[in-house]
Amino acid sequence: MPSVAFPHAYPFRFVDTVSRPADEGFSGAVRIRVSANSRAAMGAGWPSSLLYAEAIAQAALLLEAGDAETGRRGFLAGVSDFESARLPLAGETLDVDVRLAGRFGPVFRFDGRVVSGEETLARGSVLVRKGDKGEGQGEGR
Amino acid sequence: MTREELAPKVKDLIVRRLKLEIDPKTIDDAAPLFGEGLGLDSIDALELVLGLEQEFQIKVEDEEVGVKAFASVNALCDFIEQKKTA
Repeated sequence: MPSVAFPHAYPFRFVDTVSRPADEGFSGAVRIRVSANSRAAMGAGWPSSLLYAEAIAQAALLLEAGDAETGRRGFLAGVSDFESARLPLAGETLDVDVRLAGRFGPVFRFDGRVVSGEETLARGSVLVRKGDKGEGQGEGR
Repeated sequence: MTREELAPKVKDLIVRRLKLEIDPKTIDDAAPLFGEGLGLDSIDALELVLGLEQEFQIKVEDEEVGVKAFASVNALCDFIEQKKTA
């Protein structure tokens, strides 16, 4: 997939490649290389497990949206039942599996798991909302 | 299941799934769940959609149906009863 198709731009784009495109039931996977040179790592590795949630959300929006424009117009709206074993180190390659758990209007819930080799580093659910922040505010409230 | 049995289950689902720190019994059957009532939002609505699927085996087809079903506890009970008898 060409880099222009990715929804986020450097330095806040984690997804490097799509390793398993989304199927019809919506389940897919992406790969992330943790580089010491990246702004997210800033040397030794990622500084916060919150970046796992962002990585899952980016993977979910990328796989679900299918094009950069739609992906850019979505955002991480919440995190649920999230746990992380340890932070990734520079040099590790992360595989992020995401599965659509449900949707209601523009709000989607994805279950995600981040692994490095055989080791599960993080798992949990993210809520993403398609559309620009502020768009549709007040609906449902 | 009678309405008297269903309503407490629905209130328990709402409090549990949304991690509300209130006694389920304090939720008024007729009060709006969104806006001025419990103050729920569209993200909470998604949690209720998932809760209905997992605990009542009921699917909410689309947002329009959901907005009507989530109007109040009474509306949600009506929706569940209608789905169960369909």
